[in-house]
Amino acid sequence: MADEIRALSDELASNPASQAFLRLGELLRQRGELDAAARVAHRGRERHPASAVAHDLAARIALDRGDSASASDAWQAVLRLDPAHPGAHKGLGFIAYRSGRLRDAADHLARAAALDQADASIAKALALVQGALDQSGAAPPASPPSQAPARRSSIGLSLFSDLAAGAETVLLLDQNGLVLAGSAPVDGADRSAEIGAHLSGISEEADRAMRHLDLGAWKTIVIEGPMASAALSPAGEGGLVMVTAPRATPLGLLRRMLDRAAERGRTWLEEGA
Amino acid sequence: MASPFQPLLATVMRLRGTTACLIVDERDGVIVDSTLQFGMRGNVFAALISSLYRKAKQSAASAGMGDASFVQLEAELGRVCAVGRDGLVLIAVADPKANLGLLRVELLKAREALA
Repeated sequence: MADEIRALSDELASNPASQAFLRLGELLRQRGELDAAARVAHRGRERHPASAVAHDLAARIALDRGDSASASDAWQAVLRLDPAHPGAHKGLGFIAYRSGRLRDAADHLARAAALDQADASIAKALALVQGALDQSGAAPPASPPSQAPARRSSIGLSLFSDLAAGAETVLLLDQNGLVLAGSAPVDGADRSAEIGAHLSGISEEADRAMRHLDLGAWKTIVIEGPMASAALSPAGEGGLVMVTAPRATPLGLLRRMLDRAAERGRTWLEEGA
Repeated sequence: MASPFQPLLATVMRLRGTTACLIVDERDGVIVDSTLQFGMRGNVFAALISSLYRKAKQSAASAGMGDASFVQLEAELGRVCAVGRDGLVLIAVADPKANLGLLRVELLKAREALA
């Protein structure tokens, strides 16, 4: 390992723009030389600010140094560049869990699990957090006031309560698929975070597909399943509203419920901005 | 060489208002067979819609809806409908004048022939 570190250091010295900092930073991290690793990662981020892997490296080193705040900042930077980065969601889920924000932890871990189904450690962590949520009575989102305006947090749970009659699920999701309001009760558990994770990016894909076909802006997505139907529409700020209802519900009624939920979601987002 | 899906595509394309029809690999969005309008960039569109279909299907499963049988994306100037089976997705693009009910029935029938 020492030879490789020397070779990578030489390469980086002769070509500072090289990607060798990624491997070098990782090797230093593995050897426990965290200060040196942090310096390498810092320089790498400065030279390659649009590189998600550079920010991810810096986040992992920061976490090893016990600096959760820097790690969180770096993983947030990763997600701005690559919203589907499972490692960043996993890391943010871990930080949220450690700081007692179980709902945030579940959101991030569900997204990580959906993005990287081969990583068994994510599924285990998600089960652990879900168990803790179930034991705690679960419902209230644990986001600290500094991350979400208190008014939104308190209204989020009840935003759609009067619309829920006839609907199984009413959800408001942000542009990253994170749940802003509503719930999705399935077999006694709230599956909203998992649904949000799967729907992450769908609005952007619909936009792009419609641009390719010159069909204008997309208005609704309707999904029919054997047990239920779902309808989605844009809700402003890149977000989405999703409503599901039993299969027997006429599609016209489902659309009316969607329209009302979308209108309320948009208004709420505008007022909270 | 004509693919085994040509008759299926032809049936859907005969419906009024249908402007394109594609069969796409659900996993990677690669076109298996298609009937497109001249100038249409099928590859990008196929990749986007197959990804959208996959997400719709996964979210439906998570929401306890079962296996999604029909997905419709409605836009200002038309709509895109998709059905899938055994890793293939049949996608139809239609203008606003298309008879959606008929298109839906034909796509669900055609779904049975996908394999």
